[in-house]
Amino acid sequence: MKGSIFLELLEMAEETFGEEVVDRILDTTDLESGGAYTSVGTYSCGELVTLVSAFSDHSGIDGEELQRLFGHWMMTFFTKRYGSFFEGKTSAFDILEAIEDEIHVEVRKLYPDAELPTFATDRFSVKELDMVYTSPRPLAPFCRGLIEACLNLFNQKATIEMSALADAMQSTKFRISLVDQS
Amino acid sequence: MTSNAEKPATVSRSRYERERTAREHAEQLLEEKSRELFFVSEALSKHAAELEKAVEDRTAELNAALKKAEKDAAIKSRFFATMNHEIRTPLGGLMGMIDLLAMDEESRSKQELLRYAKASGLALSRIVNDVLDFSKMEAGVISFAQENVDLRALVESIGSMVRSDERMAERHFLASIDESVPERIICDATRIRQVISNFVTNAVRYSEDGPVIVRARGYGDSENEVLRIEVEDSGVGVEESRIKDLFQDFSQIPNSLTAAAQGTGLGLAISRRIVEGLNGRIGVETELGKGSVFWFEIPMISAPLNSVVEQEDFSRASRPIKGLRILLAEDNAINQKMLLTFLRRMGANVDLAENGAVALRKFAPQKYDLILMDVAMPEIDGLEAVRRMREQWSPDQLPPIVFLTAHEIPIIMEDAMALGATRVLTKPVQYENLQSGIREVMGLSDGDATPDAKGGKAKSDEDPETRLRKLVSADALKSHLTFMTIEGVVELVDDYVQDGLTIVDRIQTSYDSGDLDRCKMEAHSLVGSSSIVGFDEIADQARRIELGIAKLDAKQLAILLGGIGVGLRQIQDTMSA
Repeated sequence: MKGSIFLELLEMAEETFGEEVVDRILDTTDLESGGAYTSVGTYSCGELVTLVSAFSDHSGIDGEELQRLFGHWMMTFFTKRYGSFFEGKTSAFDILEAIEDEIHVEVRKLYPDAELPTFATDRFSVKELDMVYTSPRPLAPFCRGLIEACLNLFNQKATIEMSALADAMQSTKFRISLVDQS
Repeated sequence: MTSNAEKPATVSRSRYERERTAREHAEQLLEEKSRELFFVSEALSKHAAELEKAVEDRTAELNAALKKAEKDAAIKSRFFATMNHEIRTPLGGLMGMIDLLAMDEESRSKQELLRYAKASGLALSRIVNDVLDFSKMEAGVISFAQENVDLRALVESIGSMVRSDERMAERHFLASIDESVPERIICDATRIRQVISNFVTNAVRYSEDGPVIVRARGYGDSENEVLRIEVEDSGVGVEESRIKDLFQDFSQIPNSLTAAAQGTGLGLAISRRIVEGLNGRIGVETELGKGSVFWFEIPMISAPLNSVVEQEDFSRASRPIKGLRILLAEDNAINQKMLLTFLRRMGANVDLAENGAVALRKFAPQKYDLILMDVAMPEIDGLEAVRRMREQWSPDQLPPIVFLTAHEIPIIMEDAMALGATRVLTKPVQYENLQSGIREVMGLSDGDATPDAKGGKAKSDEDPETRLRKLVSADALKSHLTFMTIEGVVELVDDYVQDGLTIVDRIQTSYDSGDLDRCKMEAHSLVGSSSIVGFDEIADQARRIELGIAKLDAKQLAILLGGIGVGLRQIQDTMSA
């Protein structure tokens, strides 16, 4: 997992719980990297899961909820750092559909060995989009957070149904149905 | 989620250490990445260099192969030209000597022997031609000319040849050229004639009676017009199993009519190669015992109207050669003897020059009515000799010049014409050819250089029409007379000459002032008017200026303009005689 994810998680934690708390958790948690992350490095995904659960223990906020909040944080980060991806996009669906064919293509140019999840989309009606997230990492709530933040970007409201796929253990399906705003 | 945490003023040692570790890690990663990039870039450069080298090598190889091929072709071409010359020259000597002997021989039995000798000689020269042609095709050094051809006249001339064949004494030669064949087509007259003659000769050889019929027609759309020529006989025909061998090399169909094997068996193979070389097809429809139709088809390209026509005029009036003063430059002793005898027999006064240098010494204006110049001579060859004459004397001081060559005409035609030659004759020159060649040339230059030196003035009692007939091509005159009176045509010719002389001046002036476009334009207008009025020779020379102006030097232009000037003045003289 790319270092920038870790840096952003720590940034969010420092913002929320303060540097001292973050320092203490990093010092007391058993991490392979020793908690020293750089954005150009690659680290084990297990460290992310460990850190999320440590922050959960500290704050009493549910781990999945923390992942979802982190999804919101990351969307903001993406808009600041990679604004060009968002140019010419007029809706959340446009962004979600572009992850696989535009964003991941760019990511691979910088990090040819990046292990990326897949996001298969199917806009089966004007207001409904199925997105199937497939990854060996248990980060479905993080994805949900990203989807929500993406809808917020365009001031769109929608219901998001998450369901596991019976025949694909590593996949999660998100059915996103836009809600009329009048 | 809102942030309430205050950031402390200082950071802990552990935080500092973590940041430092992270930085070192990042630096190390960047170094690795740089090294990786370096190697990739190096590999790419190497690959690019290899590719470039490969391209260079390949280009060099191809260039070398091309050069070698060009050199080989040039060597082959030169070889065949030499062989041609070396074989034809002695053969011509033989034939000429036979002609001479036959003229003086009174004993009938010896006459007969000489006729056999002559027939054998002709047969040998046909075979030599076949073998040379075939070898040239094998060597791939044959090229095809693009000239304007009057197919009707061409077939007619083959007809007159065939009709004189004793085997055709009781039979008919019929030619039917469909209206779909334009008056003039663009193709290689010599090669087309060769194929048709070959078909016709076979038709005569392999049939006993019935007519030999030549048919020609055009078909197809305007994009892809095809000329189909057929030669039909009602002879022995060809067995089906032998048809596929017919057009193969060295094949010959044995038959009861040809007691002994005749020819080389190359005729149809050569025909096939010619037709294929012209992007055409060749074939035969035949039934054993009933006869054959040999045919070929080639793309038909109509020649633009009013264009230069290089065709022989078979009906040119015969003029006396008696009394003509001729300078003959020829180095070969046999040829000297032969030509001298021929010319003297025609009644000409011949002065012999053994080579180009002697010819130059002997020549002076007004001394000769005609120069016969061999091309290949030691020291100063015929072309060079004429070149020097042109330098020394103005065009109107030079009589008509006929080149004699054992080379094929196209090779020296360009040079000869640039020097203002009136005609080129190929050796071996036969008596009749020499006679008609000289007549033709002197007919063209009527009024200026015609002999009658002692008689003084030319025949001024001719009526205007007779004079016009000598000057203007028959077709053109016929067309003029459909809408003009004779007086009208005389006036037209007069205007044309005046206009032409002015154009000649303007071309020279434009050339002197460096305005080549203007030269080209003026020459073009002269081409047009000459063609329309019917002075094809002048049109031809003007076209040489039009097309070649960029490459002509001052001297060459002067020669061409001089030639045109002389031509125009001759017309004027003839008309006002």
